Amino acid sequence: MLNFKRSLLLFLVLMVTLTLGACSDNDSSGNVNENNDENVTLDFWVFGATNYEDLAEEYEAENPGIKINVKVSELGDHHNSLFTALSAESGAPDIAMLEVDQLDRFKQAQDRFVNLYDLGAEDIKDDYLDWKWNIGKSTDGEFLFGLPTDIGPKAMFYRVDLFEEAGLPTDPDEVEALIQTKDDFISAGQTIKEELDKPFVDSMEMAYRAIMDGAEESYFDTEGNLLIEQNGNAVKKAFDLAVEMNDLGLVGKYDMWTPEWGNAVNNGDFAVEMGAAWLKGWILGNAPEANGQFKVATLPTEFAGNWGGSYVTIPNETKNSEEAYEFIKWLVSPENQLKSFESAGLFPSAPAVYEMEAFKNASDEFFGGQNTAQYFAKAAEDISFTYKGTKYVSAQDEVLNSLLNIQNGADPDEEWQAAVDRIKAIISR
Amino acid sequence: MWKRKYRSEEQKDKISAYLYISPFFIIFAIIGLYPAIFSLYLAFQRWNGLGEMEFVGLRNFTIVLQDPVFWKSVYNTIVMGLMGTAPQLVVGIILAFILNQTYLKFKNTFRAMIFMPYITSMVAVALVFGVFFSNNETALANYVLNIFGLDPVSWKTSEWGAKIAISIMVFWRWVGYNTIIYLAGLQSIPKSLYEAARIDGANILQQLRYITIPLLKPFIILTVFFSTVGALQLFTEPTVFLGNAAFSRTEAMTIVMYLYRDAFNLQSFGTASATAIILLALIIIFSAINTYLSSGLGKKERRAKS
Amino acid sequence: MSTARQKLESLKKVFMYGFLAVVSLISIFPFYWMFVMATRPSAAYNSIPPTMTPGDRLVENFQAVLNKIPFFGALWNTFVLCVVVTLVVLLISSLAGFAFAKFKFPGKNVLFLAILLTMIIPPQLGLIPQYYLVSKFHLLDTLLGVMIVFFLNPLGIFLMRQYISNSVPDELIEAAKLDGCSNFKIFRSIVLPIILPAFATLGIIVFTATWGEFLWQFTVLRDPASYTIQVALSSLNTTNNVDFGMVMSGVFWATLPLVVVFLMFNKLFISSITEGSVK
Repeated sequence: MLNFKRSLLLFLVLMVTLTLGACSDNDSSGNVNENNDENVTLDFWVFGATNYEDLAEEYEAENPGIKINVKVSELGDHHNSLFTALSAESGAPDIAMLEVDQLDRFKQAQDRFVNLYDLGAEDIKDDYLDWKWNIGKSTDGEFLFGLPTDIGPKAMFYRVDLFEEAGLPTDPDEVEALIQTKDDFISAGQTIKEELDKPFVDSMEMAYRAIMDGAEESYFDTEGNLLIEQNGNAVKKAFDLAVEMNDLGLVGKYDMWTPEWGNAVNNGDFAVEMGAAWLKGWILGNAPEANGQFKVATLPTEFAGNWGGSYVTIPNETKNSEEAYEFIKWLVSPENQLKSFESAGLFPSAPAVYEMEAFKNASDEFFGGQNTAQYFAKAAEDISFTYKGTKYVSAQDEVLNSLLNIQNGADPDEEWQAAVDRIKAIISR
Repeated sequence: MWKRKYRSEEQKDKISAYLYISPFFIIFAIIGLYPAIFSLYLAFQRWNGLGEMEFVGLRNFTIVLQDPVFWKSVYNTIVMGLMGTAPQLVVGIILAFILNQTYLKFKNTFRAMIFMPYITSMVAVALVFGVFFSNNETALANYVLNIFGLDPVSWKTSEWGAKIAISIMVFWRWVGYNTIIYLAGLQSIPKSLYEAARIDGANILQQLRYITIPLLKPFIILTVFFSTVGALQLFTEPTVFLGNAAFSRTEAMTIVMYLYRDAFNLQSFGTASATAIILLALIIIFSAINTYLSSGLGKKERRAKS
Repeated sequence: MSTARQKLESLKKVFMYGFLAVVSLISIFPFYWMFVMATRPSAAYNSIPPTMTPGDRLVENFQAVLNKIPFFGALWNTFVLCVVVTLVVLLISSLAGFAFAKFKFPGKNVLFLAILLTMIIPPQLGLIPQYYLVSKFHLLDTLLGVMIVFFLNPLGIFLMRQYISNSVPDELIEAAKLDGCSNFKIFRSIVLPIILPAFATLGIIVFTATWGEFLWQFTVLRDPASYTIQVALSSLNTTNNVDFGMVMSGVFWATLPLVVVFLMFNKLFISSITEGSVK
């Protein structure tokens, strides 16, 4: 019997040592200091490329006793891990960033966030663009989920060298004058196609987004009803435009976020990208040879839209909501939005920034010295509020699937119907 | 007197046995049991992960079983299992057999190299395979096809392209793993058996057939079982390979991807759990069939011999 | 006759070496390519046909990694995680494998089947309930919170049961019992030495699987001080401004220690084989 005891003992000893070893490793979550008024630790979850780590350090220096732990992850991982924490009602950070397309999914969890109106957010409402602010509210308008960070107003990035080669104007104002409408856009595309035998835009997604990103209504209404089968719905219009451009041979096969896309940008394999300000960072990172090749012009009004942008929210698990609110209020203030714009390309959602000298006069090496900020700023003020709903991204994916199939030769009408059916299957669950 | 001692010996063995297997079950009771019961419970609820749950009876199962995408994912999983997983086992045995030859030089080096894919990080594997099997006409795989006069393939968006590319990736990544398990199996076969066979004049194929395969049989069954489960739970490789398109296209969507999409993209944890239970049934059926088939393998050999 | 046979022998050897060489090359090629990317600027990743030769930015890229993430701290955390998980799994599996292989006890088959069933829940679905448990035990941001899930390893028990019933003769155990050895003494001094090769195999598999797992580690570890290498590496690869040279450098240097660990196990593997054959 002694030996059974000995083996059990061995096992227990091992387990205990493990436990101790693991515990002593780290125990530094935000709750350690909760009893001490002098020191407050705020956990702040961030995704993508921001300058929020630097700003957090700056804030710590100005506010002794506040410590901010910034955790940076990739967009998908970030939202899923936040979702898990909110779902389990445990382990959410004090502050979390939310991307605009993901926001509606998290609005279902209204009880797990702090209503920023309760902390006095009404006071700073006028500092931000109305449409941007309104997206951050609940449907009834009583509850504010997050403060606006950046936005993604779209403009036309065009290859100066290709435009020149095809005999099109290259000066931003002339380009804008040339391309005033959807039809102008297509005929410029045909010129490129005929002269250079290159596609005008990179991918079906981009052709589809041309109208989608600016549409005032998308797949669902606020009750969750499907709108896409109704007459005059923007989704069908956007779909038809993409199909039309594809039929004319204006659409390339370079999907964004792939190495082929970077390669095509590097080589100048297509002429135009309809992107937000942040696209510059992505081009720089993935296609360094394109540096200096692009200029920016305003898009035709029917293509003006928003792509991306975020909010900062306070999950209600936090014990320091007021300190958290003070920090995020500071973080997204116009002065700091200017800093975020300068160092990380996050486009400001506070119009006051558009009037700042540093912003107005910023000339950009990447765009051959062009002052681009004003083009994006102009677009920013034209954008309208769109209700997206919790299944926006999944529904969009289904349409994009069909578009890719059409590009590979499938029949447009059949593919449209198939996409509608798939979206219905998705919302039935 | 003797009988009593024997019984207490037996008693002692029982206590030992329960004690030895208890750590697993204790940890399982702490961390594994609750998720299992929770999933079972969820399968009959409608839940978005955040709000209230609502009991819906068998509705989740109806939705899943009537969804063509689900059946597509079952089909994809089986096809990729056959193309990616089954060949691993055969090649794994051959490699292990060669690596187990006493006269072989550079044994260590070969073994390390063959095991390398398994320890290489998935991020790197995804980037590398993503470039080699891209949709582009200039992708390395298309370049090779071109040499043989074949048309380029859109590896990530075509029905067979995606399946083949992922099967190759799965094969590449797991061959070394199975080889290592077979090697362990071969080590458990006494060397003297082979020496005796050689003295009797048995050639390599005969050794393989009469010594290696029969004695390796339990390990073959083991790997067949785990590979079947692994193949039916295929998730990481296709997800990483397809990147952004992983959960929106159906060319290579596997059952677990379908389940993951329900839970994390569509906020439908009920149907995700229902899918998990259907998957459980499939795994039990398939592993039973495969285990049965692979245990038949050795039996026939033995009969032929006697 | 004898020369023909020798010819056949050598032909066989040529074939074997050739086969091994081809498989080995295919196996290590992506690893080599990773190294190439780790020595080049980001743009090399995009070039077609792919770049095949190393460049001159080995140090520079790694420097960029060190500036961005706590590389060595994360490496240490991973190391602790993997060593503990491997040791615990080896202990649990060999004990349970021994019990299932060599003892008779009521419920043996049912319990073995139960272990089999535990591995069938897809881990992606268990994520939320397991996270919930770990957070209730106050183990978020700790390595123990990560480990506890990895301790459950049915494959280990399967493998050990099989290996023990194949390689440990019943007669040996009977004899030891007659000598008055206790069961644990039999395990320690008879079973353990024989199953060392299986330890090496299972050890490698568990160690590398733990090293490479991402989803669970990412979910549990949120505090940068507790980051493991996979979690730290994932923060290198954020959508905007991707520096592939840097990412590959991080991945490469994080894989290298694994190769060393593998070679160590491999040595154990080899030495235990020769010892075993003497017996």
